[in-house]
Amino acid sequence: MNPGGIIIEGLRKTYGQGDTAVEALKDVNMTVGPGEVVGLVGPSGSGKSTLLKCLGAIIEPTAGRMVLGGKVIYDGSWKIPDLRTLRRDSIGFVFQAPYLIPFLDVTDNVALLPMLAGVSNATARARALELLAALDVAHRARAEPSQLSGGEQQRVSIARALANRPPVILADEPTAPLDSERALGVMRILNQMAQQSQTAIIVVTHDEKIIPTFKRIYHIREGRTVEEAGEGRSLEGLA
Amino acid sequence: MISLAGRDILHAWQKFVFTGLGLGLLIGVTLSMAGVYRGMVDDAHALLSNSGADLWVVQKDTQGPYAESSSIRDDLVRSVLGMPGVARAANVTYFTMQVQQGKDEVRAMVVGIEPGQPGGPGYLVAGRHLTRSHYEAVADVKTGFALGDRIRIRRHDYEVVGLTQRMVSSGGDPMVFISLKDAQEAQFLKDNDAILNDRVRTAANPAFNRPGTPGLLDAVQATQTSSHNVNAILVQVQDGLLPEQVAEPIRRWKHLQVFTREGMEDILVAKLIATSAKQIGMFLVILAIVSAAIVAFIIYTMTLGKIREIAVLKLIGTRNRTIAGMILQQALGLGVIGFVVGKLAATLWAPVFPKFVLLQQGDALTGFGVTMLICALASTLAIRAALRVDPAEAIGG
Amino acid sequence: MNISTPMKRRLSLAALAIFLLAALAFVMLRSGPLAPTRVTVSKVQEGTLSPALFGIGTVEARRNWMIGPTVAGRVLSVRVDVGDSVKTGQLLAEMDPVDLEQRLASLDASITRAVSVQAAAAAQQLDAAARRELAAVNFRRNQDLADKNFISAGALEARVQEKVSADAAMQAAQASVLGAGQDLTRLKADRAALLQQRLNVRLLAPADGVVSSRDAEAGSTVVAGQAVLRLLDPGSLWIKLRIDQGRSAGLLPGLKANIVLRSQSQTSLAGRVARVELLSDSVTEERIAQVAFEQMPPAVSVGEMAEVTLQLPATSKAVLVPSASIQRQGGATGVWRIEAGKPVFTPLRLGASSLGGQVQVLEGLKAGDEVVVYSQKALSSESRVQVVDSLVKPAGAGLAP
Repeated sequence: MNPGGIIIEGLRKTYGQGDTAVEALKDVNMTVGPGEVVGLVGPSGSGKSTLLKCLGAIIEPTAGRMVLGGKVIYDGSWKIPDLRTLRRDSIGFVFQAPYLIPFLDVTDNVALLPMLAGVSNATARARALELLAALDVAHRARAEPSQLSGGEQQRVSIARALANRPPVILADEPTAPLDSERALGVMRILNQMAQQSQTAIIVVTHDEKIIPTFKRIYHIREGRTVEEAGEGRSLEGLA
Repeated sequence: MISLAGRDILHAWQKFVFTGLGLGLLIGVTLSMAGVYRGMVDDAHALLSNSGADLWVVQKDTQGPYAESSSIRDDLVRSVLGMPGVARAANVTYFTMQVQQGKDEVRAMVVGIEPGQPGGPGYLVAGRHLTRSHYEAVADVKTGFALGDRIRIRRHDYEVVGLTQRMVSSGGDPMVFISLKDAQEAQFLKDNDAILNDRVRTAANPAFNRPGTPGLLDAVQATQTSSHNVNAILVQVQDGLLPEQVAEPIRRWKHLQVFTREGMEDILVAKLIATSAKQIGMFLVILAIVSAAIVAFIIYTMTLGKIREIAVLKLIGTRNRTIAGMILQQALGLGVIGFVVGKLAATLWAPVFPKFVLLQQGDALTGFGVTMLICALASTLAIRAALRVDPAEAIGG
Repeated sequence: MNISTPMKRRLSLAALAIFLLAALAFVMLRSGPLAPTRVTVSKVQEGTLSPALFGIGTVEARRNWMIGPTVAGRVLSVRVDVGDSVKTGQLLAEMDPVDLEQRLASLDASITRAVSVQAAAAAQQLDAAARRELAAVNFRRNQDLADKNFISAGALEARVQEKVSADAAMQAAQASVLGAGQDLTRLKADRAALLQQRLNVRLLAPADGVVSSRDAEAGSTVVAGQAVLRLLDPGSLWIKLRIDQGRSAGLLPGLKANIVLRSQSQTSLAGRVARVELLSDSVTEERIAQVAFEQMPPAVSVGEMAEVTLQLPATSKAVLVPSASIQRQGGATGVWRIEAGKPVFTPLRLGASSLGGQVQVLEGLKAGDEVVVYSQKALSSESRVQVVDSLVKPAGAGLAP
């Protein structure tokens, strides 16, 4: 067992009871090592969102085992008392839309989570600026989210997900609004960050532009996952 | 940690300031209503303090002279002067009537006083006290009269020789002081038509119009047009004595009622102002409820407008406590802005009111506290809505 | 220095907030209970006062008469009307003499009869005198005879008795003559009385004057004491002036007076105090003085109201304060002075005051002291004060800000 990373065993999620019960997840098994970027692909209604919500400690699974970053977070029941802190410190979220806080400027949007975690304002902002620079949006550091283009906002949201150095990042269709060049750029950054910080990243996507870049892909259909090897196309040399 | 509430306010400051202005005007109205009530009570206190009296001697079984009409003979003051403990005693008359100046009419309380005795104005803001025994007046500035104006009270013209401030009746009408004899005539003497009518009626009465007693009819008609009544006797007790001590022997005559300062305050404030006080109290409650509702509505709407951001914040790991704190701080901030604007507005428009509006600091502090409380309570609705948001909504289906 | 937009916004909002709070603090300190009480002060100077007494009075006639009968009767005729000038002794009215004439006639008849009775008594007296004479002669003769024993003693006694009777008859006759004379006197006196009464029926003017009212017409019945006419002497009009007892110090006959009649309020007339009444009005607490006109004004009516100001002699030099600054504190009269910014009460002893509102200070102040004249509120020794020039706007309503 690797320290860090994501391990999911036999995860099951049933909504409702009795006759109206719906089994969204029947048997999900996934492993993502630290530093790996793994794709999660499947048609709508296959349980992708449910899986993300379980992994993100937003909803409670019905049965199974989840290990995040070396800590068992679920084993039939929650093993972590404060889920919100878990999410804040251990999981980074990247959404389909940037969802930046409109009344905070870009730097503070990124620095918010570290500040909530108790890091001093100056340190948090410094870290935010580093991440923004790495994502090539540092020139927008003092702007308000409404002044940024869609792609810039998306990159800022990625920086936000990375700001608290979580061991795990869950990305839900992060490249959906982007063109192919930008999309590949995002994937490159994700891979870089994964490598640099040894973060385990799951990317839920059906974007054909980036699927070839994954080394491993999990297919999910009707609540079950199947692993398959990906193309692993190189992202080097891309802007 | 940065202040989320502060950032939100800075970001949408126009909305905040305008909302604060609107809330401020509402709070200003509330403070003014409280000020109106305090003003009424202060009017009563001013009336009692400015009269300079320790005791009010009035007609038996009445609660005069301000709350009820009271009429006593004007020579009773000599007997009162002889009672133990009485340092000074003087007749006064009070009568609310229209006073004319040029074409304008002002509603004023005409006070008949003996200059230098209790009942007259203690301090002036212009001019001098009454020196002549007739046809001079000292008026309160609220009447709008100036020094040298000629005013008409009933049958005679008076010259305004002095001005006072804050000399008002318990109803807020400004006072006009004239000599006691003039006031007695103004209050009790009727107009010419009525006098002629009375003379004819008396002459037609055979009991008064006897041929064998010449002079009887004239004497009777003379008593009809003479006035020897006053409304009250104001008494100052000697130093070192309790007013109640001095009042009791006077009351034991059984023909007079005597009130001390506490008794008069009780009558004026508790009885005379009671209905208005209740009205104002109800109005204040309604205003408080309306203010609470408005603040609740505003904060709720503001929160609903941020519902997605709140969901995201919850999702990425912001604690409920932080989110609730943000909403609460915004509500309190709104309250502070509203209160400052309201206090400013109330202070600025208070002098324009026709009656005296007294804005006390204690009331302002209470108002501030109540505003903060209302804002805090009003924010609970929004906080509940915010906390109920499911973070999972941030992740699409 | 480049200020970013959010920073600019922050600064401007902060500035707005500071401005609002400053405005609030300013407003709260300037008005309302925290503000200091505004007062005006003035330096007192020495000077003299021309005090004056003021009162209102009614025009009355000094000499007036009620003309009427001394007994109840009916008015026969009234010869004059209101406004007529009459001379002393002029016939003004007559009462109905009723039965006076008849009673006079009756008395005349009685007198005539009394004269007759008197004559009869005189004749009787003569008769009695003659009888007495005879009786006396008879007695003397019989006496002589008796002495000579020519007649009996009994006869002599009869003569004696005759003489005595005749004497008595004489006396009776003399008495009845006297009686008749007294009766006549009495009747003459009665007649004189009736004549007087008949004179009373004519109402004559007791002095020169003008008829001021006509109270009964011919044919009306009046009782004794009721007036048929009233007369007054138009040259004797004066003003019955009433002055408050408390403010009548210095009221003496001879004071110059300034009179303003109600009907001629634009002109002031000169006058003089002619008399100060010994009896004051204790009910209205007023002293009464009579003020005569120096020159009788042309159109003045009895009963007209007048305002009279009497000039008193000027007082000696003393410190003067305006009456507005005089206050009472704890039973003492005095003024407030400002010392080291705080009000201090100074008790005073006051003297005369003028109608213009200046009061003499006999004790307690020196020339040049500053006293508080006008104040917005009643002062106490703890009040915070602020000295200003004036509390009211000149010639306009309202208070100075």
